[in-house]
Amino acid sequence: MSPVDPDLLSIEHLSVVIRRPGREVAALSDVSLRVGRGEVVGLVGESGGGKSMVARSIVGLLPGGSHATGAVRFEGDDVLRMDDDALRRHRGHGAAICFQNPRGALSPTRTVGRQLTDRLTTHQRLTEAEARRAAEEQFAAVGIRSPRRRLGAYPHELSGGMAQRVMISLATGCAPGLLIADEPTTGLDVTLTREILRRFRHAADTDGRGVLLISHDLASIADVCDRVVVLYAGTVVESGPAARVLGRPAHPYTRALLRSVPDVDGRAVVATPGAMPLLKAAPHDCPFAPRCAHATAECTAERPPVSRVPGAADDWTLACFHPRTDELAFAEPAETPGRATAAERAVLEVDDAHVVYRSRFGKGGHAALRGVSLRVAAGETLGVVGESGCGKSTLAKLLLGLVSPARGDVRVAGSRMSDLRGGELRRLRTRVQMVFQDPIGSLSPRRTVADAIAEPLRALGLPAARRAERVEAVADRLKIDRSMLARRPHELSGGQAQRVCVARALAGEPDVLVFDEPTSALDVTVQAQILEVIADVVRDPARGSVFISHDLATVRGFADRVIVLYLGRIVEEGPVDEVFGNPRHPYTRALLSSAPSLGDGFSGPKVTLTEDLDDTDAAAPGCPLAARCPFADDRCRTEEQELRPYGNTRAACRRVPEIPDLLKGSDIRV
Amino acid sequence: MSETVVVGAARVGRFATVLIVTGSAILAVVALAAIFAPLFTGWGPTEIDPLGTLVPPGPGHPLGTDANGMDVWSRLLYAGRLDLGIAVAGVAVAVVAGTALGLVAGYLGGWVDDVLMRVVDIFQAFPTFILALAVAALVGNGTGNLIAVIAAVNAPAYARLVRAEVRTVRESAFVAASVTSGASTSGVLWRHVLPNSLTPVRVIAPLNAGWAMLTLAGLSFLGLGVTVPAAEWGAMISLGSPDVVAGRWWTSVPPGLVLLICVLGFSLLGEGLQERAEAKRR
Repeated sequence: MSPVDPDLLSIEHLSVVIRRPGREVAALSDVSLRVGRGEVVGLVGESGGGKSMVARSIVGLLPGGSHATGAVRFEGDDVLRMDDDALRRHRGHGAAICFQNPRGALSPTRTVGRQLTDRLTTHQRLTEAEARRAAEEQFAAVGIRSPRRRLGAYPHELSGGMAQRVMISLATGCAPGLLIADEPTTGLDVTLTREILRRFRHAADTDGRGVLLISHDLASIADVCDRVVVLYAGTVVESGPAARVLGRPAHPYTRALLRSVPDVDGRAVVATPGAMPLLKAAPHDCPFAPRCAHATAECTAERPPVSRVPGAADDWTLACFHPRTDELAFAEPAETPGRATAAERAVLEVDDAHVVYRSRFGKGGHAALRGVSLRVAAGETLGVVGESGCGKSTLAKLLLGLVSPARGDVRVAGSRMSDLRGGELRRLRTRVQMVFQDPIGSLSPRRTVADAIAEPLRALGLPAARRAERVEAVADRLKIDRSMLARRPHELSGGQAQRVCVARALAGEPDVLVFDEPTSALDVTVQAQILEVIADVVRDPARGSVFISHDLATVRGFADRVIVLYLGRIVEEGPVDEVFGNPRHPYTRALLSSAPSLGDGFSGPKVTLTEDLDDTDAAAPGCPLAARCPFADDRCRTEEQELRPYGNTRAACRRVPEIPDLLKGSDIRV
Repeated sequence: MSETVVVGAARVGRFATVLIVTGSAILAVVALAAIFAPLFTGWGPTEIDPLGTLVPPGPGHPLGTDANGMDVWSRLLYAGRLDLGIAVAGVAVAVVAGTALGLVAGYLGGWVDDVLMRVVDIFQAFPTFILALAVAALVGNGTGNLIAVIAAVNAPAYARLVRAEVRTVRESAFVAASVTSGASTSGVLWRHVLPNSLTPVRVIAPLNAGWAMLTLAGLSFLGLGVTVPAAEWGAMISLGSPDVVAGRWWTSVPPGLVLLICVLGFSLLGEGLQERAEAKRR
């Protein structure tokens, strides 16, 4: 049975049905894929598609109640049918997993060094001293600076990127043949994402490991993968060389996925209606057919077999009766109406706002915003971008009056928030409404949808009958089915819940809408749907909007103007096309350079920053970016930088005029 | 090759239901027996049989009589009214008062929280039963006072429990969403924070009712709770305790067993609710 040189991993016709009392889910239906040594395979698709189930089956961790058929062959042995001893050896040496949430997957009460040496002593049978030495090498290998010191750190002392590096060192520590990474970069900044993904490529290239990279983020993994497998509703719909599958996909679902991803080059997102079904039994038709524009009677009559893509020479396969072979067409860049803003009525003004989070004990505190000024006119959308820790969320809280500025002030529709108390403050608060990142978490679990949407109306003192009327009107506008109004949040999908949140924000006809990463918790095709909804909503001429995101591509599609935040300061501000097309500040350029893209991406000369955000000292004098900026000189390290006008943008960098020359001299490619 | 591999059977979700149904059934039987006591016995709870004291179980008295010549079976039935009534009412008052305190302390924080929690600390610094003894000695017995005692010794625990939960809930996005919608503090508390902070209370309250019955019985045993001739299981055990040595088990063992069964019923109910809450969280 065992071939001479089997693939490292070969999953053959794997089907998993999870049976629990009152619930049956066909998690995987006839999935076949393989990973060779030294190969990086991307497993992509939306949540619920079965990505994690594949990962779990490889390490023998299928959830209770699973009924599996087929085989998961690892170096010829079937993982599904291993006994406990074999499975233990397999998990140590054979395959190792990097989990999505590294800080959650690290034990909080043990130092990270101890967690690594523990593994080394049990699986590699090293002595304590050898293990420590090996651990230090491992840490250095994944790019952890001063590894000896970090060995003694506890997980909570590490930043997200550092914790993910530790997680990778834990997974690679025992030299597994196969490394599985389950959404390893979700929640990390763009600059870190590239770096972490490169580690996996490195593991495949230098150590000859197989890597299975699970991700919903197509743009990020496009560069590092050799091959890509696309899952939909537990079935493999397309699989083949990464460049081909992501460059010129043949399956309508892969095409829908790609078209749903916003890109920094500004092309418009095309939404695909509907959502992925949760199957109760293995499908007998094409599961994508109900959402597919090319579906025919054939598609709903039987399940399309896996076949070679017509005209493709290599192992490019798909499961579709109507493969697409034409060029993947994208919509033209969305036209951002050039609205004259200066003369219009300002609905939101922030003037030199400082926010300091005081520590509960002792003096001092953390300055989250250091002198931010901005202005949003009616009908205008302001984009706010920056890495985590730059003050984006604090800015959102400030606009909503959830934190008060230590200095400076916030005016909404002309009234200063800090002047008001009690009922007046509450009424002013209804003028600014926010759409939160986590749609389900921002709805009270025990309240119905109708109740949630009516919340701002209740604050305005509307009688119940008027409230109900208004709720229905808003629900209709956002295409929320009337039958959904009586449901509770746990019965909603992420996309439906976010629609409800947008409806709630709109219900009281506010002057300002704040979107705080409204799509980052959603699946790709759902994200595109919500972006369409938001695009429609921000077009209202009476309202100003603030769109906060770490994802530059998303911001580009909407905003009229953009501000770039870095460590609580605005480093660049200007019209969206200008900032994205001709960034003045090195930081903006670096952000754009590392933004993942499936299209042309950022076309100008690229720049990489030298250090992680968490290693820089925010309190140091001079330009806050100086420690990371490749163009910093001595004056940058000592002089405060103020926003100065360059063309029609403003940037907080004194060297802007010199940068084009500097870039020519040293085109720092990423 | 194509045979099915089954991974460990999923934990049966009906376990919680079994616990809840069993616990409720036990309590329902005891409560109904107490409410409809006259249907099951010809004797009144304080009626004295002139023909004899300490009569062993037999045809006239299914569980015999006690030292005062009162029918043990009938007292056993009637006692449920006081025992269940005081325990449940006491815990109910404790839940309401404790939840209100915890809600305010947890949501407002700051000095309000500090003051309220220090008061709670003082109450919790004493062992529950010693505190109950002291309060009972202070206010005297009587049904209302005993309910107050049970409430006073149990409310602090709820205050702490709810406060901890509220401190988590108030940080959640839906509370921020409500505040930014212009809702008033009381509106946020009542509509969003309170309903989402009650899960642990629902689990603890039934268990607590069981402990409250033990506290009540203990007080009565020591003469600080319900006193003879009123029918109460703790008082019955107290009265009958000297008889056990003489081999007359029927005066004190039955009330002890009923007490045990009731506490068991409350525990099963609480366990079941906890299982269900955990199953939901998964």
